Amino acid sequence: MIRCIAAEWMKLKHSRIWLILIILPIISVLIGSANFFMNQGVLQNEWYSLWSQVSLFYGEFFFPLLIAICCAYVWRLEHFNHNWYMIMTAPVKRTSIFIAKIAVVSLLLFFVQGFFFILYIIAGNIIGLSTEIPGELVGWFLRGWMASITIGTLQLALSMRFRSFALPIGIGLCATIFGLAMYIAELGMFFPHSLLTIGMGVLSQSGLSSFSEHLQFLITNILYILVIGLLATNWLRRTDIVA
Amino acid sequence: MSVIQLEFYKLRRKQLLLFVTLFLLIEISWAFMVMNHSIARNPDQASWEPLIMTISTMNGLFLPILSAICVSRICDMEHKGSTWKLLLALSVQRRQLYFAKYFCANSIMLAISLFQISSIAIYGLLKDFTQPIPLSILGRFFIGVLLTNAAIIALQQWASLAIKNQAFALALGMIGSFFGMTAGLFPFSIRKFFIWAYFIDLSPIQQHFTNEQITYSVKDFNDLLPLMVTVFMVAVFLYLAGSFHIAKKEV
Repeated sequence: MIRCIAAEWMKLKHSRIWLILIILPIISVLIGSANFFMNQGVLQNEWYSLWSQVSLFYGEFFFPLLIAICCAYVWRLEHFNHNWYMIMTAPVKRTSIFIAKIAVVSLLLFFVQGFFFILYIIAGNIIGLSTEIPGELVGWFLRGWMASITIGTLQLALSMRFRSFALPIGIGLCATIFGLAMYIAELGMFFPHSLLTIGMGVLSQSGLSSFSEHLQFLITNILYILVIGLLATNWLRRTDIVA
Repeated sequence: MSVIQLEFYKLRRKQLLLFVTLFLLIEISWAFMVMNHSIARNPDQASWEPLIMTISTMNGLFLPILSAICVSRICDMEHKGSTWKLLLALSVQRRQLYFAKYFCANSIMLAISLFQISSIAIYGLLKDFTQPIPLSILGRFFIGVLLTNAAIIALQQWASLAIKNQAFALALGMIGSFFGMTAGLFPFSIRKFFIWAYFIDLSPIQQHFTNEQITYSVKDFNDLLPLMVTVFMVAVFLYLAGSFHIAKKEV
């Protein structure tokens, strides 16, 4: 397993994927902060108002798309030059290949989330917010990361299945809209993309209040990761792959 | 002509048209849900202006990424199949190939725009809007979408063909969607530099906020004309720059 993760990591070397991963958080925080700065008369809840501005488009639309691009990128190499045959004949379990990809994507998303949160704190300090940084920040970070791994597992399965780079990203965008509808219908706990909305406190910063809600959030994420992971690895094991 | 036919032939099993139609259906469904909600709260909103404005705003989010996906699929098949050398060994100029792909992408987006306009008209009729179908406004809306798409497709095609890794072209589309969606937050002096913002700027309807109320007015065509010419020039420039660059690029 460790060797698989190391191999995946090696494939990303010199790929400049980091450029894509850092540019979106920068743009999101810049635009959100500029909007907050220009409308401070209306947005008076300091850090919370700033969060509502920087996280709205980022958490609702663009972070899921970034995850989709990241996952499509991780599978891209296998779809090229008959590389599928190479990984299928490598002396590693097929399950390990998929888990290694989840591990690498999770690590990349952890950095993206961390970078976004650091930028948020820097922006708040530059604007000169006088109150304390919200205590919910750690929760938004961890829950957002957890939900992003769930979306990542789904997108990895789609990118594995479809040879096209763009198609899983398009499906990801459709799922984002569906996730928003699920959230509005108060069924957000049952769909990966709306779990991100809930986890990051994008539309409602009150977020998850009780222990049972936290537990439900955690269980739903784990269930999604397990079920999608099992279906994907089952497909890998049973299908006669033609590159 | 045969080069263009070949592009469509290559797409015959890719179900691209089906995908973009489904994608557009999601956008339209969302827009109509917003309109239903808006009409339920305020029956005065049951008119063409808010409907066209809602679709224009949503186009800012959906069409840049849809163009990016569409163009990426048309261009990436050559990268993936390593068919560039094969194509260039034929007696076809690179510029002809570039034009064929551009024409193909624009045709798909044109079909989408027509579908969008038909949906607007059908929604208005089903909701019994008091005014008749505003053909002139819909025509201007159509031209605005077409021109903005033409400029965005030119940029996306350049990116998709110049950089083999489609992650960059799709990231560009995503950033475009971001600017398209947030364009309304910025003054015109800033957003005029971003082509993705023109889905709103070339929209024939303008939105005003007065006393916490949203009102709509129809823009004068003479005010829109210089912007349309500018976007057309940008599309031509991006197309020529991309075509020239790809023609000179080593395969």
